[in-house]
Amino acid sequence: MKHQPKLAVLAAATSILLAACSPGAPTTSGGGTAEGTELQLLVPQYSDATRGLWEGLIADFEAQNSDITVALQVESWDNINNVVRTQVQGDQAPDILNLDSFATFANDGLLYAADEVVSAETLADFQDSFKENASLDGTQSGLPLIASARALFYNEDLLAEAGVSGPPTTWDEVLDAATKVSALGGGTYGYGMALGSEEAQAETSVWVLGGGGSWAEGGEITANTPANVEAVEFMQTMIEDGATEPNPGSQDRSPLMNVFIQGKIGMIIGLPPTVGEIEEQNPDLNYGIAAIPTKDGSPFTLGVADHLMAFNNDDGAKREAITKFLDFFYARDNYATFVTTEHFLPVTKSAADVFSDDPQLSVFVDLLPGAEFYPFTNAAWQDTQASIQTLIGQIDQGKDPQEILDEVQAAADAVE
Amino acid sequence: MADLSSGPGTPVAAVKRTRRLWGSESSVSALPWLAPALALIVGVVIFPAGYMIYNSFRAISKSGVDRGWAGWDNYASMLDIGALGRVLINTAAWVTVVVAVTLVISIALALFLNQRFPGRTAVRLALIVPWAASVVMTSTVFVYGLNRYYGIINQALVDVGLLSEPAGFLETAVPAFASAVAVAIFVSIPFTTFVVLAGLQTIPAETVEAAHIDGAGRVSTFWKIVLPMLRPAIAVATIVNIINVFNSLPILYAMTDPIPGYDADTTTTLMFKIIQRERELDVASAISVLNFVIVLAVIVVYLRVTRPMREV
Amino acid sequence: MTAAIDRAQALGRSTKRDATRRGERRWLLTAVGVVIAAIFLAPYVVMLIGALKPRLEILAVPPDYLPQNWRFDNFVTMWQTVETPLPFNLVSSLVISIFGTALTLVVALPAAYYTARQRFRLRLPFLLLVLVTQMLQPTVLAAGLFREFTQVGLADTWLSMILVNAAFNLSFAIWIMHTFFSSVPRELEEAAWLDGCGRLGSLRRVMLPLVWPGIVTTIIFIFIACWNEFAASLVLLSTDTNQPLTVALTKFFGQYDTSWQYVFSMSLVAIVPVVLLFALIERHLVSGLTAGGVKA
Repeated sequence: MKHQPKLAVLAAATSILLAACSPGAPTTSGGGTAEGTELQLLVPQYSDATRGLWEGLIADFEAQNSDITVALQVESWDNINNVVRTQVQGDQAPDILNLDSFATFANDGLLYAADEVVSAETLADFQDSFKENASLDGTQSGLPLIASARALFYNEDLLAEAGVSGPPTTWDEVLDAATKVSALGGGTYGYGMALGSEEAQAETSVWVLGGGGSWAEGGEITANTPANVEAVEFMQTMIEDGATEPNPGSQDRSPLMNVFIQGKIGMIIGLPPTVGEIEEQNPDLNYGIAAIPTKDGSPFTLGVADHLMAFNNDDGAKREAITKFLDFFYARDNYATFVTTEHFLPVTKSAADVFSDDPQLSVFVDLLPGAEFYPFTNAAWQDTQASIQTLIGQIDQGKDPQEILDEVQAAADAVE
Repeated sequence: MADLSSGPGTPVAAVKRTRRLWGSESSVSALPWLAPALALIVGVVIFPAGYMIYNSFRAISKSGVDRGWAGWDNYASMLDIGALGRVLINTAAWVTVVVAVTLVISIALALFLNQRFPGRTAVRLALIVPWAASVVMTSTVFVYGLNRYYGIINQALVDVGLLSEPAGFLETAVPAFASAVAVAIFVSIPFTTFVVLAGLQTIPAETVEAAHIDGAGRVSTFWKIVLPMLRPAIAVATIVNIINVFNSLPILYAMTDPIPGYDADTTTTLMFKIIQRERELDVASAISVLNFVIVLAVIVVYLRVTRPMREV
Repeated sequence: MTAAIDRAQALGRSTKRDATRRGERRWLLTAVGVVIAAIFLAPYVVMLIGALKPRLEILAVPPDYLPQNWRFDNFVTMWQTVETPLPFNLVSSLVISIFGTALTLVVALPAAYYTARQRFRLRLPFLLLVLVTQMLQPTVLAAGLFREFTQVGLADTWLSMILVNAAFNLSFAIWIMHTFFSSVPRELEEAAWLDGCGRLGSLRRVMLPLVWPGIVTTIIFIFIACWNEFAASLVLLSTDTNQPLTVALTKFFGQYDTSWQYVFSMSLVAIVPVVLLFALIERHLVSGLTAGGVKA
């Protein structure tokens, strides 16, 4: 074993050296010393501006609060759930998390209540409709962060070419308009239906909720009601009549949106950031935004909200620091910067006017009061959503909508 | 030429001297040689493996909080998954086709690259690129290239005349699965080729020449001399490929994830979907254990059947 | 004339006609080689072209083959993106891969040599244990790894990933080196022993040169495995300056749009070090040709 030990020792020594010198020494949560507190902030990536936004906010915050540092971790949407869950499993939950759903964490008793981590003024500043959606069993533990509404984006040139007078407002009008646009041929499709697993629940909810159905009634998931089945049957009709692009069951929204922006799709459901995308990629596109067509024509939009939530690690040791940071974040100017850069809709009353001079985003803001949301305070929604994502796309293969919704209902019922 | 590997037929005196270099010893004196390996394995692998098995018997909430003993519930839930049968068939097809086709093509390529010709190094360098690129990156290029709307590979196929219009390769289960198989073969060939090539180069040139002088044609030289001597290399390549392909996630995930249902899934992607969508870590752990048991069984059967290394 | 040729061939000497035929044959092989190389490089050429396009052109419907606006600056701006600190990511990948490979070899070689030569009771169980660990991939064990390394205080350090990579690649290294060691006749070691070497000496002087092709293959395989590792790196390394290229790449996939031009350019840059490594040691694969022979 003569020259082996030398090599081994060399390797070991170098490794130890590396462990000590690697940039970003291990940061463990619970780093509260007398001099300062460190907060772990974990956020997803909305766009390529996200990291810069947060870093700017943190820099300003740390300048004003010399005893608090904030460690930022940004992950893509694909990975963030895995990362958070692994951290929770390993008792290393972040202090502040930005995510869509908070219900599972709240159910496990991991979160602070909202009123424990923001001041009374900040709490009162949230719009009421969002506060309800951020509460579980009467206690609010989610802090509404941004809102998004859906609307119908339509290509005015394509509709005109197909002989359609204006954006459709009812289901029958949508089917008619979309079929006509698809008939133009040449790789053009009438309605871009995105039923790929990425966000199938959004597209499905547009039709289900727009047809007067609902996912939950009185605390129970109601996936396979007759109204819901009728809505999914209509979606299937759209596909079978050739009004949509081929194989919508495997089309995710983001790639499909790109096709719309290039002028090959007549109508598609979009959100506020879409406006910015169109401007960047194809400013010459002649498009309009209208309310989502419903079965009977009454106004409706699908609301989506993401939340901030604060984890109660260490029995409240960092509560004060967290409160300071969150109050800072929701201060009108800071919050307005965040919301306008990411092109989302504000959830606070003080920042509600931030888009008043933007005609396109104002459409969304006006739709917001009538928005319906996913029932994500329902403990079974996670499974319901997952099974919708997995199963609904099968309608493009001719599978029976009643059967699919029955399977979704079964998945929801299986959650105890 | 005499078989010079150890075994019957070696002169007695040499055996005696060799034994003094390698006398029969107790397992304890093996320790200094094996200790570092054992330390790494026990320290880094055994704990997480045990944790995974442990988790498969626990109820874990969607946010990752352990909620107590679950007995065999997770395994029961796993068996309840309606698509499990189809998934198992897919898995068998996936592993068999990818490994078999890769092996055949790789042996041919290795024989080719064993010859001297101008530019051989360049071809070897080109071959290493798919291996050097992470599988995620390669799958991403294919997902991008095969897209119906902006995919450049699709466009090329149309321009060349093989297709009349861009095809939805990744839009339905069977074509997407087939595309994924093709990509898996594509990324597995480089490694397999180099393992076989390394094996080829330990075959003494004299042995092959002696066969030629004895009058054997090239094909029968290959079958009777070269291939048997390649058995260990082929065995290693096959085992590693079976394991890697079985556990392979990125290719199938990238190419079939948007597709509804489980018709294009293998056990590994099914497990991943259950983590990503249903967030059921406990059931996913049970599937991982099932995965492990299946791979173990496959390898054991392979070793029993082929006995590639008489020494072992 | 024919008799002379026959005699020459029987003696193993080449004739002029042979030489011509061999020359032609060699160029035919080159042609085949070019086709093969083209097939295996095709997707990466697509990547290269994509890296040179602005984002909008990449997603054009229908696509153009060549960029209309050549964006060589993508390769410059990618080092300073907001999403990820690329220079740090590159260093991270290099450190983890180099030291991971080195550690694997240092641990695997003695174990493989010993199990190839020495029969001891726990030999087969050891080899099977090693094989079994190969079947457990970091993907499924990520949560357990995170827990474990957090508890010993090594989370978010390069050392944790070096250990993880070494442990999970150990089995391949041991098995393939075991195979190569086993195929070397004992007589050769015996000769070295007669010269006075102990086991280590014979390992170093006799065995290693003979199994060099196997070692080279092992180095390449393990380096690539470390270089492309993703699942464990994602959970064990949380600070962005610690994250390797595989994790850094995911930061370009936004919620609604993807910076494809950076995805492609970074992927290409990630390929370069591996190809360089291969170019450096590839000739040792060739030298195995002469080293592997055993004189009758």
